[in-house]
Amino acid sequence: MFRFTISEAVRKGTLIFYAAIATLIMVFFAIGISRPGDTPGMITFFGMPMPSPPGHQFDVVQFIIVTLHRQSVFWIVVFGVFGTAGLIPSLLEKGTAELFLSKPLSRLHLMLARAAGAVGGIALNIVYFTAGIWLVFGLKLGVWHAGLLLSSLALAYTFWCYFSVVTFVALITRSTGFTVMLALSYTIISWGLELRERGLYVLWDNVVYQRVLDGLYYLLPQLNAMLSNSSLIVGTIPFTHETAQFTIMPFVYSLGSSVLLYAGSIWYFSRQDY
Amino acid sequence: MSAIQTFNLSKNYRPGAFKKKNIVALDKVSLDVREGEIFGLLGPNGAGKTTFVKLILSIVRPSDGSATVLGHPLGALAIREQSGYLPENHRYPGFLTAFETLMFFGRLSGLASGDLKSKAASLLELVGLSQWAKVRTKRFSKGMLQRLGLAQALVNDPRLLFLDEPTDGVDPIGRKEIRDILVQLKSRGTTIFLNSHLLSEVELVCDRVVILHKGKVLKTATMAELTTSQPIYEIQLEAPPPADLLQELAARTYDVTPRGSALVARVRDMAQLNAIIDILRARGLTIGTVTQQKTSLEDSFITLIQGGASE
Repeated sequence: MFRFTISEAVRKGTLIFYAAIATLIMVFFAIGISRPGDTPGMITFFGMPMPSPPGHQFDVVQFIIVTLHRQSVFWIVVFGVFGTAGLIPSLLEKGTAELFLSKPLSRLHLMLARAAGAVGGIALNIVYFTAGIWLVFGLKLGVWHAGLLLSSLALAYTFWCYFSVVTFVALITRSTGFTVMLALSYTIISWGLELRERGLYVLWDNVVYQRVLDGLYYLLPQLNAMLSNSSLIVGTIPFTHETAQFTIMPFVYSLGSSVLLYAGSIWYFSRQDY
Repeated sequence: MSAIQTFNLSKNYRPGAFKKKNIVALDKVSLDVREGEIFGLLGPNGAGKTTFVKLILSIVRPSDGSATVLGHPLGALAIREQSGYLPENHRYPGFLTAFETLMFFGRLSGLASGDLKSKAASLLELVGLSQWAKVRTKRFSKGMLQRLGLAQALVNDPRLLFLDEPTDGVDPIGRKEIRDILVQLKSRGTTIFLNSHLLSEVELVCDRVVILHKGKVLKTATMAELTTSQPIYEIQLEAPPPADLLQELAARTYDVTPRGSALVARVRDMAQLNAIIDILRARGLTIGTVTQQKTSLEDSFITLIQGGASE
């Protein structure tokens, strides 16, 4: 089932489309970026020198890598949802569900293998993209940024956590469209919950309301915080004097909530008639 | 030995989250399907035929009652290991070829890839799809998908085979081929559970049938019991019978009515039939054929359903 899910994503063109986008970005940087031999520390992008802002001395390469990573992570998640949201509803369609459920597989096995296939496909793309960028910067500029490779693991893990929400919603709605809409809404919810003290708290000065928001923040996968911290593994943008430090806690909290969501999904799936 | 035994198996559905009234899909169904027989499940739309099969395969959960299938309690994985299922309106992944479809569902059934290759090829040969083995199923017609569905249901050499409208969309020659496959499987000891609207087809292959109506069992009987011969004979003549012949037969209190150039005689016994034939021969009439009338499965089915509906 795991292999079938990846094969489905490949043959439907989803994974190939994402791999093509990742390849285009890699080629864009591979062609465009270079370090001219005559000026030490100088980086050019399609022949244009990339200067440091006035009054600042910082590593331009670090700036490019971190910025590229930060811009990419959101799109990785969005593309990931579009690419995988239909995988669970397609399994539950009338005429398909009966075929799968009549085979000697437990529903637990079926659902876990399907989710693993979906996450595995996106993880392959993440690793391909980050390893490709790592190679481009290493070969062209001699900068072998280990943080990039590490961040691919964090991103794949983040997508695994996020897919627990996708799975749960897909099982309840049995619709690809609703799953995409609700999963994308969750990216906003997650962002709102993370910044609740500066945003949602202000809407209603009520302790119970604020504790409910706190509870939701810790009960649900902390998507936004995990994405931010995945980028912090790569580094901070030098001249902004960022104070944020990488913390593993969002990943730890999200492990619990994701396991709960997957368990809830499997329980629900095992009790449904198809 | 029984392949399937159910005891008061019931299934109620809730039509919606906010609706309290349940829909009864199956109401205390008790059945006994013997190993090695072809068992037909008949009923009008919504009778509960598909629900019954889904209950046996744990695709839906029973509301009440119990069952044993191949000696295992309902829900056991072993039931699905030894069963094959061709659902109605099945949908195969369109990006797979016919061969890949059989390989995939064979692996899901727990078979090793090595054995599967030759198995898949021979099944495609059996259902007449060898030439289409490397074609993606999204290009298949309804009839071809039905053939592939049958091959898929047979991929694990099941002891128990469930077929839901297996000849739907299949041409007459294909239907005959499927019937032949079923008879061949029966001779090998496979128990076949057949859901079909095509009563003539059921009549040709089934040993026993159950008739379901509104989730209840109306009748379980052998095919012979449902298609009994009646003491009514159609005597085909060369020309329409003359009026004085009919008067003579009526005068002798024979129950005979004309139908075109034939006479339809309801007789007490063979002696009475022979007496009528003697009268015809004495008048010099040429008799073409004498045929005993039978109640078809369709007649029995309609009578039972109409009787069930009026209750």
